[in-house]
Amino acid sequence: MMKKILFGSLFLIGFILTGCGDDSSADGGEVFQYGAQTYSDPKIMGQVVKQLVEDQTDHEVEITEDIQASPQIINALDQGEFDFATLFSGEVYNNHFDEDKIEFSTDPQKTIDQAQTLFDEKFNLNWYDSIGFNNQYSITVPEEFATTHDLQTISDLSEYASDMEVGADSAWKERENDGYRDFVDEYGYEFKNVRGMEISLMYEGIAGGDLDAITAYTVDPHILENNLVILEDDQNFFAPYDASIVARNELLENYPEVSDVLDSIVDSISTKEMTALIREVDINERSTAEVAEEFLKEKGMLE
Amino acid sequence: MNFLTELGTYVVENQSELLSMTWTHILMVIYGIALALLVGVPLGILAAKFEKIAPFILSSTNILQLIPSLAMLAILMLYFGLGFQTMVIGLFFYSLLPIVRNTYVGIKEVDKSVTEAGKGIGMTPGQLLRKIEVPLSLPFLMAGLRVGSVIAVAVACIGPYIGAGGLGDEIISGISLQSEIKIYAGAIPATLIAIIADAVLGRFEAKTKARMAP
Amino acid sequence: MELVSDYIEFWQEKNNVIWEYTYQHIAISFIAILFAILLTVPLAIYMTKMKNNFIKNSIFNIANVFQTIPTIALFAIMIPFLGIGFKPAVIALFLYALLPLLRNTYAGVQAIEPDIIESAKGMGYSPMQRIFKIEIPVALPYIMSGIRTTTVYVISWTTLAAVVGAGGLGGLVLSGIGFNDQHMIFTGTILAILMALLLDFFFASVEQKLLKR
Repeated sequence: MMKKILFGSLFLIGFILTGCGDDSSADGGEVFQYGAQTYSDPKIMGQVVKQLVEDQTDHEVEITEDIQASPQIINALDQGEFDFATLFSGEVYNNHFDEDKIEFSTDPQKTIDQAQTLFDEKFNLNWYDSIGFNNQYSITVPEEFATTHDLQTISDLSEYASDMEVGADSAWKERENDGYRDFVDEYGYEFKNVRGMEISLMYEGIAGGDLDAITAYTVDPHILENNLVILEDDQNFFAPYDASIVARNELLENYPEVSDVLDSIVDSISTKEMTALIREVDINERSTAEVAEEFLKEKGMLE
Repeated sequence: MNFLTELGTYVVENQSELLSMTWTHILMVIYGIALALLVGVPLGILAAKFEKIAPFILSSTNILQLIPSLAMLAILMLYFGLGFQTMVIGLFFYSLLPIVRNTYVGIKEVDKSVTEAGKGIGMTPGQLLRKIEVPLSLPFLMAGLRVGSVIAVAVACIGPYIGAGGLGDEIISGISLQSEIKIYAGAIPATLIAIIADAVLGRFEAKTKARMAP
Repeated sequence: MELVSDYIEFWQEKNNVIWEYTYQHIAISFIAILFAILLTVPLAIYMTKMKNNFIKNSIFNIANVFQTIPTIALFAIMIPFLGIGFKPAVIALFLYALLPLLRNTYAGVQAIEPDIIESAKGMGYSPMQRIFKIEIPVALPYIMSGIRTTTVYVISWTTLAAVVGAGGLGGLVLSGIGFNDQHMIFTGTILAILMALLLDFFFASVEQKLLKR
């Protein structure tokens, strides 16, 4: 009995060790890895990258979805486990670099410039120019609440803040520069409570009345869907989050044809278009593959 | 009722993906538990034989189990990278405690008179272990295995957060798409795996126990 | 050395926040366990008197099913009914705590020698008196050890509650993962472990005392 268990386990372990690592595509090209966060825009971009690369080169792309957080994706890119991802320029302020190397700015150009140089230096990553959409934090409240109290800007909220339950993604509460603590300094008021949670649950929470305001992502169709309004960031507090494709330099040097494909994605999808794509996925429950394909064909990027 | 038919259609339409997720899920758990058996049983025997190191072995496996799963996976990811094998290592750590502890308790519980009798007929310590102590402690080991595998099935559900796949794919993307159907399509098979593992190992436990009974 | 001074600085800067997460963690686990005890102890005692095996087994089976539902799934399933935050987290953890508490209390009362009960009857104790004066005190070590294991597990599971917006030390871990801050991940982890170990130790010594009596 013991022996059987022992041999069985040994066999299984051998199987795990040999089981991994098969990376050539059907056309004799490579299989590249794309990693996506838990929300829909990076997942859709994964399909865009996959379909374009597979259409125009011999290579294939595999997508891994629902990675918990972008620092984990960057770590995986650094270690060569992922080859591509979609990241946002504000990521550069997310504790990856020494404070003396980086200067916080809400200027989109400055932010993406810093992201491009710093991620290249430290992680050997090529940060492409913006895809064309941005997805930044915003303070968002139900439309009804905004009209009754005549709210336009985040500053207008100060009177009501002390009674408000706010939902945010877990990192926002703690991050520096454009996180909650600096928000309190900048706007001069505190909310009754800020709760960190999985992003999509914020919408569920505000729709169900558990939350009074959320730090919605500006590209999300849920904002319109749930009758929410974005309050204007009148102190110019939130960092810009322009989306870019990010890829490993090493790969681009070896496969320039892939680099050409990724170049063609720059400046190809506007915020409005991305909102519409996410709507198809999140609200109409269609698959990211189908939605991306339809979009690329419409744009003439795919036959 | 409407919800059930929708769920049914969804499952039928996506059956091949769901099956492959279920399979990945089961594989992760089996590998994790197999590793835990391979390491845990000898550790448990060591602890039972050398009473001095027992507290050390037991409390360190205990602490391993107390590490919050999200943190454990985030930390493991730094060393082992993304994906399947990292999850297997995580599951190995989580199922270690019940296996080590139950092996330890099982061997300790073996009746002194039985081991003495074994010694009396001239068994070497190795023979004693193989022929008497390990077989007699099997029901305990089975109970540990049972607890360990239920925990492992549950922990494996957060696999997608580190790119490991499994049924958690449905659950977590269900959370992020706010789709109850996806959540249930992942949660129900995952729960079934746990229930089946629990029942099957429970039966083994009862069987080994019955065989022990004089 | 720099690592240590960095970490001390981190604590000085964040200690308010850290205690807040810790407090939430304690609140969620405590309420879940408390309600689970309030339900299961009377239920288990009642079950020992029950003649109908079918109902008894069904109750055990239901509690067992709750325990086999993967944690993240149970949290997710709660959302459509209960929304997000504190409520679904407490209820999910409550459901998890049922089985070990039920099983231990039941086993404890069941293990009481029939002689003891008989002699109590002989002394003219009413059923209620028997429960409070004999059954609960005699079964207490079992009940305590059930509470002990359950508490340790619930504390560890509570960390996942952060995903559904309930806060707790999992929130600190998640923030650390999202904000790329190892200090936060480390602190959340260590505090959760310490909390579980301290309670385990505390209950173990209570158990010891009860056993001595």
